[in-house]
Amino acid sequence: MQNTQPQHTEPDDWLEQALRAEGAASRSDYIADDGFSASVMARLPVALTAPAWRRPAVALLWLGAGIAALLAVPGLFDDTFRNAVAMIVGRRFGVADIAVLLGLLSAATWASLIYAARAE
Amino acid sequence: MSPPPASDAALIARVVVSDDRHAFSELVRRHQSAVRATLRKLTSGNLALADDLAQETFLLAYRNLKSFRQEARFSTWLYRIAYNAFLADARRIKEVQLPEDTDADDLAAAESSPAGGVARSAALAIDLERAMSVLSDAERAAIVQCYHNDLTHEEAAIVLGCPVGTVKTHVLRAKEKLRTRLGAWAPTR
Repeated sequence: MQNTQPQHTEPDDWLEQALRAEGAASRSDYIADDGFSASVMARLPVALTAPAWRRPAVALLWLGAGIAALLAVPGLFDDTFRNAVAMIVGRRFGVADIAVLLGLLSAATWASLIYAARAE
Repeated sequence: MSPPPASDAALIARVVVSDDRHAFSELVRRHQSAVRATLRKLTSGNLALADDLAQETFLLAYRNLKSFRQEARFSTWLYRIAYNAFLADARRIKEVQLPEDTDADDLAAAESSPAGGVARSAALAIDLERAMSVLSDAERAAIVQCYHNDLTHEEAAIVLGCPVGTVKTHVLRAKEKLRTRLGAWAPTR
């Protein structure tokens, strides 16, 4: 797109010159804020941001729900988890190992939750 | 050494992503003068109305900032919102302010004054300001965008929401009206 500046047909167009001079003068006249910005900011809608701890709390709830669902069907939980871990690390885990892992996971989640709540 | 001021784009991103009120406040401070000046021209110098509309402009900008696509300058986008706010208000009020007469006396007084040229320019500026009120809203808006805000015809077309050709037509018609109105100022050959 080719930009076109407002153009005048006569080089000595007094009106064109007057308009340009008036425009330049008005651009150079800075209007002092005098509380204008503050009054705009005061009229902004109230922030509806969720508290910072909401995300980890939701994550924890999902984790809890997931574990509860898996524990409700122990065979599926056992098979799925053992096989998944076996595939990743190449050795099978016992129930004690899984319990320790879940404990660590819960501790990490709680630590994140507490940290987020304190940071807020 | 203080860090360079954040660009408009960076401030806008902060507002959109994390509702950063300080960033928006900075945007308001940065553009308030230009927006208020534009609205003062559009409202023929009604300062109170212009400031009300300017506040409305920034509130609308805040609410719609997510829709700003950065295809135009932020200031151009603000001018467009300001113009729409002005049009909405003008439709509501439909107030027509009759212009005061352009005085050939002003010209005579200015030319006979000791300050000569400066007084002439100042008097012409005043008469030009008055004469702007004979223009239609669309014509005045085209002049304000092209001369006061120094926008190209293309940018003015974005602000005014009309084709470039229409902007050019408004500018030409406005200048014809102003030339007639301010005929006393035309240099004699």
